[in-house]
Amino acid sequence: MALLEVKDLVKSYGDRNVLDGVSFDLEEGEAKVVMGPSGCGKSTLLRCLNLLIEPTSGAILLDGNDITRPSADVRALRSRIGFVFQNFALYRHMSVLDNVTLALRRLKKLPKREAEERAMHELARMDMAEKSDAFPAALSGGQSQRVAIARALAMDPKVLFFDEPTSALDPIMVREVVTLINRLYLDNVTILCVTHDLGLAKHISDRVVFLHHGKVYAEDRIEELLHRDDPVLEDFFGGED
Amino acid sequence: MSFFDILQILLQGAGYTLLITFSCAATALVVGLGIAMARELGGRWASAVLSALVYVLRGVPMLVLLFIVFFGLPGIGVDVPPLVAMMLSLGLISGAYLSEVFRGALAAVNSNEVLAAQSMGFTRFQTLRLIKIPQMLRFSVPGMINELTTVLKYSPFAYTVGLPEITKQAMALVAMTMRGIEIYAAIGLIYFAIYRLLLGAVRLIEKHYAIPGFAQE
Amino acid sequence: MLDDLPFFADLLSYWPQIVRGLRDTILLSVTITATGLIGGIGVFALTLSSKPVVRYLTQSYISLMIGTPLIVFLFLLYYGLPNLGVTLSPFVIAVFGFTLNVSAYNARYLTIAYKELDPAELESARAQGFSRFQVFRLITAPQSLRMSVPALTNQAIQNVKDSSIVFLIQYIEFFAQMQEVASRTFLFFKTYLFTALVYLLLVSVVVLIARRLERKLAIPGMG
Repeated sequence: MALLEVKDLVKSYGDRNVLDGVSFDLEEGEAKVVMGPSGCGKSTLLRCLNLLIEPTSGAILLDGNDITRPSADVRALRSRIGFVFQNFALYRHMSVLDNVTLALRRLKKLPKREAEERAMHELARMDMAEKSDAFPAALSGGQSQRVAIARALAMDPKVLFFDEPTSALDPIMVREVVTLINRLYLDNVTILCVTHDLGLAKHISDRVVFLHHGKVYAEDRIEELLHRDDPVLEDFFGGED
Repeated sequence: MSFFDILQILLQGAGYTLLITFSCAATALVVGLGIAMARELGGRWASAVLSALVYVLRGVPMLVLLFIVFFGLPGIGVDVPPLVAMMLSLGLISGAYLSEVFRGALAAVNSNEVLAAQSMGFTRFQTLRLIKIPQMLRFSVPGMINELTTVLKYSPFAYTVGLPEITKQAMALVAMTMRGIEIYAAIGLIYFAIYRLLLGAVRLIEKHYAIPGFAQE
Repeated sequence: MLDDLPFFADLLSYWPQIVRGLRDTILLSVTITATGLIGGIGVFALTLSSKPVVRYLTQSYISLMIGTPLIVFLFLLYYGLPNLGVTLSPFVIAVFGFTLNVSAYNARYLTIAYKELDPAELESARAQGFSRFQVFRLITAPQSLRMSVPALTNQAIQNVKDSSIVFLIQYIEFFAQMQEVASRTFLFFKTYLFTALVYLLLVSVVVLIARRLERKLAIPGMG
């Protein structure tokens, strides 16, 4: 049984199907990248998986439990999925430490000291321990992202979602992020990453789920997809090496 | 006394309300512009004095200033008619607030444009007149609208100095008919209607003078 | 200045009622600032409701309060409630009327600040598993409040000044007392000038507090 199983996920707005029957699995410890042209539904997919957006139909199983059923505990689900946003979305009115401890104290109900210990542990893992008293406005893009990852990891999630982790960064920071996510992968963190960055896909993914018009057009290792003789894929990857 | 009679009497007062509102608003505009220009062109000393004046005018309740002007000045030999008393209290105070709006708007004028004008040879006064003031006015529109509606909302106090505007008519009617709820609810709606009409009229004027492509924030 | 001495002597003889009036003005101002702030947060929360009907009614209420004179609303309550068989003291009517009015303004200021919030932060909080109420309490409200400090403290200053109108609904506070002093001494100009100076002093105290609050509560990195 896979950690995450997506079966025939459909999300429609009116008569437009943004997601038109998406199916794939994510095994524990695996790192998958979701790619595709703009409008293929990648961001919507991610948000459906933690029910920020309500799917129209289909099933999503986390550890065998269908979370789309009405009886599902959405909040418990969300604390098991770590979500790192494109622009990091750090709470700007709180210090870095408070950003990381907030969910630990208010959702997991940990006492302050224990929460701060856990938080400092994750911040140290991200090399951000000395900035624990800083505020988000004082951080660079790369630093903000590390804090965002630490914040997500602090809740001990089963899987980490990344929504376009490299879009808001300049090229130097991109390399750092790729190394960072790779390190997480080697630490056996399960990762699902939405991106259009080919370099990122090459470095961190086991397999790539290629979405096209809301459907899974192909799913394979990145090298295979790059060399496959297919017009849609060639169009997207631009005939890379 | 029928509902229609009541409405008629109240609408008579509306004429006075509009007169008071526009008189005080005009005063406020003159005062506000005057203070803003004086601070822009004057030296440090003028700025300091005007700052203090603005602070005082913003720190005194309108009714108190009205009483000083209307009931106090006669005591030292100056008789002031009721409408003028309103203009010298509500108008002055609103003018002080407007001068702050203008001050902020002036600071928001693009300094590059000012530099361009100066390097073309325009004097300080010309730059002010041709570049800064037109832009300042456009930036000030929201603030000016706000002050106009505030003046409307403080116009009822004119009844304390005898002006027969809507609220005074309402009080007389209530004393006669004892129908407090209906009458005050009615004038509340009349004020609200005037408020919306003013907003609508100003927005129309704003559209008429809008520069294509010039974003209003 | 020396020929003002009789004026100050007169003032001294009325001192007890002047102090009582001052106390009542301060009491009213502080009360309505507090209730107006709490009410404002509540009304602001209502504007964010998931139910369109609630949002519509709340916006209509805010529009109505902001678009009509406060004194008219107070008169409506003061002269209207007895017709419904409800008798309340002028102080209670003043607090009730002011609270409804000030809450609307404060809610409007909070809404303006809310538009500057980063929606991704709110989405992120939901993604972490916080309930809508928790997102409001932990992110939306703190950020909106801290961004609105200048507008909210301005409102507090306005409250002090507006407290002077309640003598029109028979609540005897500082201005009312000074009017009586003026009518007894016939020194209208000096008395009202003194009144203005006292209000200026009260307002200045609020301004000082406001400046400290603004410095303390500003969110790092936001204008």
